[in-house]
This record gives sequence, C-alpha cells and structure tokens, in this order.
Amino acid sequence: MSALTLDNIAALPGNAALQTLRQQAADTYTRTGLPGKRDEDWKYTDISRLTAALGESWWTTSEPQTVDINDVAAIEDLDAYRLVFVAGRFQAKQSNIPAGVQLLPLAELLNSDAHEDAHCLFKLDESAPLFNGLLAANSALASDGLCACIREGIKLDKPLYVVHVGNSTAHVLSGLMLGANAEATLIEHFVGTDSSAASLSNIATYVRLQDNASLTHYRLQLESDKQLHVGRVEVKQARDSRYTLHAVELGGSLSRADIIINLSEPGASCDLNGLFVGSGRQHIDHHTRIDHNAPHCRSRENYRSVLDGRSHAVFNGKIVVAEGAIKTDSAQSNANLLLSKNAEIDTKPELEIYNDDVKCAHGVTVGQLDKNQLFYLKSRGLPEDEARQLLTFAFADEVLVGMKIKAVRRFIEKEAFAKLPNLSDLEGMLT
Amino acid sequence: MLKVKNLHASVDGKKILKGINLEIGAGEVHAIMGPNGSGKSTLSNIIAGRDGYEVTAGSISYKGKDLLAMEPEERAWEGVFLAFQYPVEIAGVNNTYMLKAGVNAKRKHQGEQELDAIDFMQLVKEKAKMVELDQSFLSRGVNEGFSGGEKKRNEIFQMAVLEPSLALLDETDSGLDIDALRIVANGVNKLRREERSIVMVTHYQRLLDYIEPDFVHVLADGKILKSGDKSLALELESRGYDWVKEEEADRIKAA
Ligand SMILES: Nc1ncnc2c1ncn2[C@@H]1O[C@H](COP(=O)(O)OP(=O)(O)OP(=O)(O)O)[C@@H](O)[C@H]1O
Ligand SMILES: [Mg+2]
Repeated sequence: MSALTLDNIAALPGNAALQTLRQQAADTYTRTGLPGKRDEDWKYTDISRLTAALGESWWTTSEPQTVDINDVAAIEDLDAYRLVFVAGRFQAKQSNIPAGVQLLPLAELLNSDAHEDAHCLFKLDESAPLFNGLLAANSALASDGLCACIREGIKLDKPLYVVHVGNSTAHVLSGLMLGANAEATLIEHFVGTDSSAASLSNIATYVRLQDNASLTHYRLQLESDKQLHVGRVEVKQARDSRYTLHAVELGGSLSRADIIINLSEPGASCDLNGLFVGSGRQHIDHHTRIDHNAPHCRSRENYRSVLDGRSHAVFNGKIVVAEGAIKTDSAQSNANLLLSKNAEIDTKPELEIYNDDVKCAHGVTVGQLDKNQLFYLKSRGLPEDEARQLLTFAFADEVLVGMKIKAVRRFIEKEAFAKLPNLSDLEGMLT
Repeated sequence: MLKVKNLHASVDGKKILKGINLEIGAGEVHAIMGPNGSGKSTLSNIIAGRDGYEVTAGSISYKGKDLLAMEPEERAWEGVFLAFQYPVEIAGVNNTYMLKAGVNAKRKHQGEQELDAIDFMQLVKEKAKMVELDQSFLSRGVNEGFSGGEKKRNEIFQMAVLEPSLALLDETDSGLDIDALRIVANGVNKLRREERSIVMVTHYQRLLDYIEPDFVHVLADGKILKSGDKSLALELESRGYDWVKEEEADRIKAA
C-alpha cells in the first residue's frame, strides 16, 4: 500500500509545527497500516471493507458541501447549543456557540498560531490501548473538530449538541476539557442524508475531566446505510470525576468504536451504556477498555444489542484493575437478543485483576425472547407479533432509561424501533 | 361452557394428566384441590394454551369450539383467562399498555370499536379501585418488583379489566396474608356473573369461606378422583387426600 503523503496534508489547517506532527502521524500510519485479521482486537471486524469500498480515497476529506441542517433528521425539541459539521467542517452560520466558555472549532484554533494548545491532540501514543492505524490517519488528516474547555466550576446550562452530517469522508478530531467541578453534557450525533453514498467517518474524541467534574456524553451513530464509521473516545478522569456514556449504534454498514476510559485518580467513576440495533448486513463493533488505575473507583457497563437480519455485532469489554487499585467496584453486563437465526454476536468480557481487594461482576446473555413472558402477553390477548415487538422494545429500552434528556431518549426510541418490525403506536408502551 | 374429555397430556414424555373429565357450566364456580405435583397447573396451562405440553388423547371444547386448536391469544379473545400461579415479571412493559393492547385486540376480534386512551384509563381506574390496587401499579412494569401478594392482586385486577367468561385462578390465594386474601376474594366475588364461570385451584379451604364453590374436585396423580359440593373441601381439610386415593385404589381393585 502506498504511503500517505504530504500532498494529502499540506492543505489542512495548522502551522509548520503542526504540519510536522501530521507528517509524523502519516509516517506512523504508513508503518502500521490498517488493522488486519491477525490483530486480536480486529478479529471479527474486517476493515478491509474500507479499502474495498473506497480504495485510497478515504485519505482525502471530501469537498466542502452545503447542507441545510433543517433538512437533516436532527433531534427535535432539544434545547441545546447546536454545533454543525458538514463534510468534516464546522458550519458557523448554522451553529450557536455558548458564551462564557472557551469553545472553538479546531480548524479556527489551529489557524491562529497563539493556541498551540490544540497540538497535544495530534501527539500519538502508540502504546495506548487499542491504538491503531486509523487513529494515526485521523491525526494526520483531521480537518476540523471541536475544542472546548469548560473552566473550573462552570455548569453549562444547556447540552452541546454536535451534529456531524455525513455521507462524506471526514477525519474529525475533538478535545473536551472540564475543569474542576465543571459539569456539561455533550451530544454527538452522526447522521447521513444519502443512503446510496459510501464514505468514511473517522472520529476521535478526547475527554479530560479534572477533579469532581462531570460529563454526560451521548454518542449517537445514525449514519446512512452504506457509511463506514470508526470512532475512538478516550477519557482521562481525575479524582471523583464522573463520566456517563450513552452510546447508540443504529446506522452505517460498518461501525467500530473504541471506548477507552482511564480512571486515574481515587473516587472516579464511569457508566457506559450501549445499545446496538442491527439489521440487514450491518456490522457493529464496540471495544471498551476501562482501566482502574486508582483505589475506590467505580465502573458500570451495560451493553445490549438487538440483532435482526444478517447483522453481526461484536462486544469486547476489557476491564483492567491495577495492583494499587484497591476497593475497585466494577460491574459489566452484556445482553443480546437475536431476532433472526442469521444474526450473530461475538461477545467477550475480559477481566485482568492485579489485586484481591476488588468487586467485579460480569455477565453475558445471548438469546431469544423469553417464552414465559411471551405466553403471558398472549394469554392477555396480545397477538403474537405484537407481543414479540413489545418484549423486544422493552429489552432495548432498558439501556435507554438512563438517558436524562427526554428528547434524546424519545428520538432514539423512535429511530431504533423504526428499524424493527413495528406494529403499533409506541405511546405509553414502556415504563 | 367448558368440556374436558378424557384429557391425557405429557411433558417430555412424562405422563402428567391421565384422563381428566370435567364439565363446567355457565356461571358455575368450581374448586380444584389436590396434592402438589398432581397436575392442577398443567390442566390450567393447557386450557390457557401454554406450549410445551403434548396432549396425547382427549379433547377440550369451549363454547362448542375446539379449544386446543386455538392460539392463546384467540382463547383470550374468546374469554379464557388464566391468573398465573407464578405471574411473570416483564421489566419495562407498562402494565396498563399491556392491558389496553389486550382489551383492544379482543374488541377488534369481536368487531367492536377499540377504546381510546381516555376511556381506557377510566375503565382501568375503576377496576383498580374494585380490587383495591394502588394506582401507582398501573404505570409500572408488568409485575416488575411487585411483592408476591401484589402480583396476585394484579392478576385479579387484570381479570376485572379483561372480563373473561372463563376464569382459571391458579392458587391466587397462595402467599396472601389474611387482609389481602379478603380483598382479592371480595374482588372475585364482585366479578361473579350469571354467565361467567370460575375455576379456582387452591390448597386452602379458607378461600372457599370467601368464595363459595358450587363444586369441589380432587385432582391427584393426573386424574379427578372425586367430585362433590363444598362440604368435600371441609372433609379434605380435616382428613387430607390419602383417603380419596385409597377409595380410588379400592375401586380399581373391585373392578
Ligand atoms: N415443563 C415441565 N417440565 C417437566 N416437568 C413438568 C413441567 N411442568 C410440570 N411438570 C411436572 O408435572 C407435574 C405436575 O405439575 P403441576 O405444576 O401441574 O402440579 P400442581 O398440581 O399445579 O402442583 P402445585 O400444587 O405444587 O402447584 C409435576 O411433577 C411437575 O414437576
Ligand atoms: Mg400448581
């Protein structure tokens, strides 16, 4: 495979120092290439589909496009600061930046030399968990993103609603820092408009939470049918900080996300909630990695998938408890519902525990609908199809109940359930 | 209303029902008593349509139709209702929604107009009051986190809403304290109608003090060994089941 060259990156934002970082990242990519089947972390996900579909065009961020955000299926009735990216570029006119916080599009920040702060986002650590060539490519090629610093003690009054309008190849790199005691909600929504177009969304998001900061992060993947999506979320948490993720995978043809959480100081806690709804030939893969690196940290993980058609999902949840991380409290659960005999799940919890003073629970289930529940509903007069639908929705909804923003939950319920055999009005169906 | 004829059934090749004969007329109240494992729930489940049982001989006709040929939901639409011995928890599924879906499917089947949300809510509130079920249970998940007694009360509440013509109450009195028993039994009595038949499976005579049966049957080892009126229940309460089994053994010997 030929190398990423300066031609690809010369036109991208950033000063000479940044161009050097980009070039280093390009060199790293050239050395590592795309992850392959021999790579244990990519055993079930065949990323060669990327080059098969796009050749080498995925190196190049698509031409700028104009899309009216009102034509996009965005979340309705959401009171938020909306930040729109189209084809990997920030759209100032369609966006609404909150006052009183440091928040700038990455490209703008890079173009003003004074802020070399953002350069740290481009420095690669090849020893980081789940590091791979796609992340190196992201550093080399990132066109834009969001850089925000919510300073100490600030509680952002409304969520940041970041809409990425896809159907274009985009390498997006974002960094979000919350100072001590700061609180915010970030909603990343990936949405496509053209179901016949195939391109790549390569999205990296770095989060740092200072002491006692709290971030709720919605990551909603609703790309159009043929889109390929690879993502990385890397979170470093200081003392007593709290991170909650609601990851939803509905769209795209192939979607892979690596979620990497570092509980680096005592008292930090994270909650990872994931819902996959797969149909057709969709392939969905989440690799999560939680490092308990300090005492008294807590992690909760609850992933569910509902798989129809010939869809294939992969869940790998690795939890590493370091030697000094005593009083670790960790629980992981992964439940999978297979609606069709051709749907497939590969699920693997991985625990690595290096001390005795920990509480780690984990459980995996794979199955069909519960026969007793089905009979109960039918005995109350619900037709078979309706009973099945109701149980399926309730199963999926169990991971959505934790979403505090009702508008997001309703939106996801509507979109998720629309993918499944759907017979009746949802109103009042679920608790 | 219901005619069970020579019903034989097995599970995984194990014979459980060995020739049940039972006739239930419109508006009658029958009690079925019998030792643990004798097949009482099996009979109720087969009538309600649970799968996993193999009917090897016999028939069940209900309102003149072949009940065994019908899906569980069709039986519900035709008025069969089973109050489960062990009601299932269904997390996340709204109790009221489930009932509304059930009631409206039945109405549709009968060619009646479906109830809208407001009418249905009114109906449900009325029935909840009747069985003294707190309104907070209406919007909870089906049996989700309910105590044993609350689950049983919820079953009777559902019976009140669904208005069956044949109600099978499988140990609805088990696990109830004396106050809850009174409330549940009063609820059932309020639901007694000329045309509504009730079959109660129970281990306890005390239920029959509240809901007076027209007939009492003893089911042991897959057969109905003896039938009588409510005095039979009193006799069973004081003498146990062994004498019934012995009588049966003697009869077989004599034959
Ligand atoms: N699904 C099943 N698989 C295997 N055996 C079963 C199954 N269902 C019932 N049985 C067996 O059939 C027999 C009758 O069970 P059933 O539940 O009908 O008894 P019961 O009279 O209702 O008892 P109880 O008074 O304890 O409720 C028991 O021996 C039971 O173990
Ligand atoms: Mg029983």
